[in-house]
Amino acid sequence: MPDVRVSGPAPGLGRLVGRAATLAIAAFVVAGPLASLVVWSLAERWTAGSPWPQRFGLRYWARMASGDFLEPLRTGLMVATMVTVLALILALPLGYALARLAFPGRTVVLLVFLLPQAFPQLPVFASATREFYRWGLAGTVPGVVLVHLVGALVFAVWTMTAVFRAIAPELEEAAWNLGASTTRAFLGIALPLAVPGIVASALLVFLYSLDEFTGTLLVGAPFVTTLPVYMYTASVGYELQIASVTALVLMVPGAVLLLLLERFLRAEYLAFFGQV
Amino acid sequence: MFLWPLAASVAASFTRDGALTLANYETVRRLYAVDVAYTVGVAAAGTALTFAVAIPACGWLRARAFGPVEFLLKVPLFVPFVVVGHALRVFMSPYVPGFSSSWGGIAVALAWKHLGLAVLLLLGAFRSVDESYLEAARNFGAGTGRVTRDVLVPMAASSLAVSGILIFSSMLASFSIPLMMGRGGGPQMLMIDVYYRFGQHGDFATASALGVVAYLLAMGAALVYVRRLTAGRHA
Repeated sequence: MPDVRVSGPAPGLGRLVGRAATLAIAAFVVAGPLASLVVWSLAERWTAGSPWPQRFGLRYWARMASGDFLEPLRTGLMVATMVTVLALILALPLGYALARLAFPGRTVVLLVFLLPQAFPQLPVFASATREFYRWGLAGTVPGVVLVHLVGALVFAVWTMTAVFRAIAPELEEAAWNLGASTTRAFLGIALPLAVPGIVASALLVFLYSLDEFTGTLLVGAPFVTTLPVYMYTASVGYELQIASVTALVLMVPGAVLLLLLERFLRAEYLAFFGQV
Repeated sequence: MFLWPLAASVAASFTRDGALTLANYETVRRLYAVDVAYTVGVAAAGTALTFAVAIPACGWLRARAFGPVEFLLKVPLFVPFVVVGHALRVFMSPYVPGFSSSWGGIAVALAWKHLGLAVLLLLGAFRSVDESYLEAARNFGAGTGRVTRDVLVPMAASSLAVSGILIFSSMLASFSIPLMMGRGGGPQMLMIDVYYRFGQHGDFATASALGVVAYLLAMGAALVYVRRLTAGRHA
């Protein structure tokens, strides 16, 4: 981070009003659509042409306790857990190798793990779905896990590479000099130091999988439904209240992550964004 | 996992009934030329709108750090695409019926989602402009607006271009936002066409040809990533 010095106009009433006005505009633009989700989720009756719902109530929130909401939630959590575990198992050694070793083809490997970010995903997922039909993976949980792994590995590999790069290699060299094997130095030095980064990476991947829509819709249909797909189905059926409740629930993990990152893990996270 | 389906879709786009052909592209041209133009137009409008908000906002924040506004503007980064589509649909539809599924509605929703990324990238670029340039401009009486336009934007031009390409490509390839905004009549976004061509018509060959058109349009983003990567190797 370069030296940031902040200066501005002299303090005064005008400055205060300016700040308040900007805050109000930003709040309306950003929070307005999110607030309308809350209004919709509570609207029991809202006829066209009326600027405001005629009757408010918690009826649609009560529907959350029913099976058709809990089932996609459970499926989504199960898929996200599997995706996170698999992505970390693969990304840990890969990230370590990409950060430490200058092997030929290193740039190519990094590039392969960026492509899903750069190219439109939908046609690729459509193609994957067709292949999955052949292997009996379409419409199954393993199929959805596999399609989530494509995007999840991008996050996992890049954050793990950044995390291991931030750990000074001298620490492990010291361990080697004292007679530790490469494996021992990795397990005893690099891995414990990387724990905060691994947690950040796991959170990102978990959240990605929980929110993933496109791949789940294509590969999972019609048997595997997660919350984003459930929300889409509700919205297509003009059950806008149900979709709004689901949308609010889907924002919870993102909000938690935002607060966690702001408080604890900011530097690593921004380093990741800076690199991509 | 990604490369293989990618290659399979490129291969499928050139074959029909087992023979090598350009017929799929002919179908794309005949049925979807308007949609390609429409998609590029919506993505361009969305990108322009994102910057129209992000540039003044970041210039303002560069002059005075103000946490609450900065925090608010980054919130869209953490809202899932599907949720954005639905939220903007229900936000607009009671007051401006029919707008959410129009090109303007889709562009607004895309701009809302990408505002977080744009602010993150631009604020970083603006903050790395040395303070002395800003002081010099202010000594000549320039206000925040002038400083942003005449100092910050020109000095951060390359970062602006890179963010513009990334955001534009992401908008081209957006699927869940237009899908959630609802289907009006008239032209559709490219990814919606791919989805219906594949899912409802079962026409994988034409869907793939549409996909290849999208890959080519998004090539700018891929090139940006490649250049960053090769630059990073020498650093």
